[in-house]
Amino acid sequence: MTDTEKIAEEGAPRAVGELTFREALAELESIVAVLESNTLELEDSLTAYERGVALLGSLQKRLAGAEQQVEVLMGELVAAPTDEERDTTLS
Amino acid sequence: MTGVPGAEGPGGEAPAALSVSAAMGLAKGALESVVVRLVGEVSELSDKPGYKAVYFTVKDEKAALPCMMWMNRYQAAGVPVAVGSLVEMTGRFSLYAAKGRMSFDVFTIALAGEGQLRLQVANLARELEAMGLMAPERKRPLPAYPQTVGIVTSPRGSVIHDMLRTLRRRYPLAKVLVAGVPVEGPGAADAMVDGLAKVVFGGAELVLLGRGGGSFEDLMPFNDRRLARTIAACPVPVVTGIGHEPDTTIADLVADVRASTPTAAAEAVAPTRQETDGRLAGLGQRLGRSMELRLTGAARSVERIAALSLFREPERLFDGEALALDDLAGRLSRALPAMLREDRHRVGLLAEGLARMLPSALAAPGAAVAASRDRLAVRGATLTDRFAGQLAADRQRLLGAAEHMADPFRSALSVSAARLHDLSPLTVLARGYAIARDGEGAVVRSTAQVEPGAPLTVTVADGAIDCVVEKTR
Repeated sequence: MTDTEKIAEEGAPRAVGELTFREALAELESIVAVLESNTLELEDSLTAYERGVALLGSLQKRLAGAEQQVEVLMGELVAAPTDEERDTTLS
Repeated sequence: MTGVPGAEGPGGEAPAALSVSAAMGLAKGALESVVVRLVGEVSELSDKPGYKAVYFTVKDEKAALPCMMWMNRYQAAGVPVAVGSLVEMTGRFSLYAAKGRMSFDVFTIALAGEGQLRLQVANLARELEAMGLMAPERKRPLPAYPQTVGIVTSPRGSVIHDMLRTLRRRYPLAKVLVAGVPVEGPGAADAMVDGLAKVVFGGAELVLLGRGGGSFEDLMPFNDRRLARTIAACPVPVVTGIGHEPDTTIADLVADVRASTPTAAAEAVAPTRQETDGRLAGLGQRLGRSMELRLTGAARSVERIAALSLFREPERLFDGEALALDDLAGRLSRALPAMLREDRHRVGLLAEGLARMLPSALAAPGAAVAASRDRLAVRGATLTDRFAGQLAADRQRLLGAAEHMADPFRSALSVSAARLHDLSPLTVLARGYAIARDGEGAVVRSTAQVEPGAPLTVTVADGAIDCVVEKTR
């Protein structure tokens, strides 16, 4: 099932926090597209707008607060040489 | 061989000098009996169609050797000889007596060293291409903003850190699974196959396969058949970033996306942070603007409807009906008198017609009535005769009976009259009694009924006397 189909599906929308970044972004894009197409009833467009604002806020918050998570499955990661070390090796 | 002809030592008997041809023949015989194997770099090459042989020169730092290879042998060898190629050849020296030139008659030729490797790689590439592993339609698009990214590369050196830093800068939300594997030397290809499987199993939505630059030989693990087939069969897209730009490995050719360097491979995962931020900001603006437009549009629609005359002057809604009503009323009032007039006229006509027709209509029944009357008159005269006699006799009997009918009552009446006479107050008055009545005509039976001065009427036999009460006793 693609992201758009998930959105098109009737029923209670999933909580914003449960969506992946990609899903949330895709849903936001489709909400903007639908709002711009001006085909919704006023009440529905207000609901969509609220959802879009929530999605946008979640996406921006996620990016701002993200810390890279690295899991090493094989081998042993050797720390990156610092710039200082690099300079020493080069000279 | 006993001695060298034409090369007798000094002091010996000098044999006859050899002709050039004989001398060359001698040399030819000596050279051509020796088969040697040698390695050299191709410098000049003459490979013209129509020639019976290919001519080229091999050299090293100090020497050069012209070579020729019969075309049938050359084609059978299947080795693309090019200037600069390192080749390994077997053959023998040969002397072209007519020109006094020596050349090397090549039996077999093969690329040596890297050239050999390159040929193997080219052959494998051709084979895999024929199998369709490099077809453009096989290339899958990369998932946008993946949650998990796999990296297969050396755990040592700057490459892994360049990739991690690039991902961190662009899209820190991605979880990174790292398979740190050797990327050169024997066993590297197998380790990379293993690493790919591990990160895919770990949930990677795409895999970055990378290493830094190196010699052609260093990159050989990326030209491995098994690795190529693993990449092609990988359930998620694979991005390669191997070596530096001009190096192309088979892994690059079968990958879904080929990036020029490991860092470029990491950059393929997600757009820059500014781009993502800009995209989100743009979506936010469009979201706000479209909602605003929607709201102002809705407000305008309401205003437009409110401004409709229907709502401003609701009574106008029935204008049509009111006009129709007036019209009908007018038509009715005009139509009614006219209709009455017409009706009256018709009644008049009918009355006239009736008056005209009535006498003649009555004539026939009138004649019938007259005839009946006549007949009745004739019959009626005799009709009563039949009853007249009977009637007279009955009347006579009635009269006779009536004459004596009152007799008993008459005698009873005279007795009653005599008794009535005896009882009459008048008779009592005649005997000298009187009746006193007060002013209202009531009979006075007690002194309490009258006051002195009250009028009193006293009735006697022949009349009445009006008195006034003097006093009571």
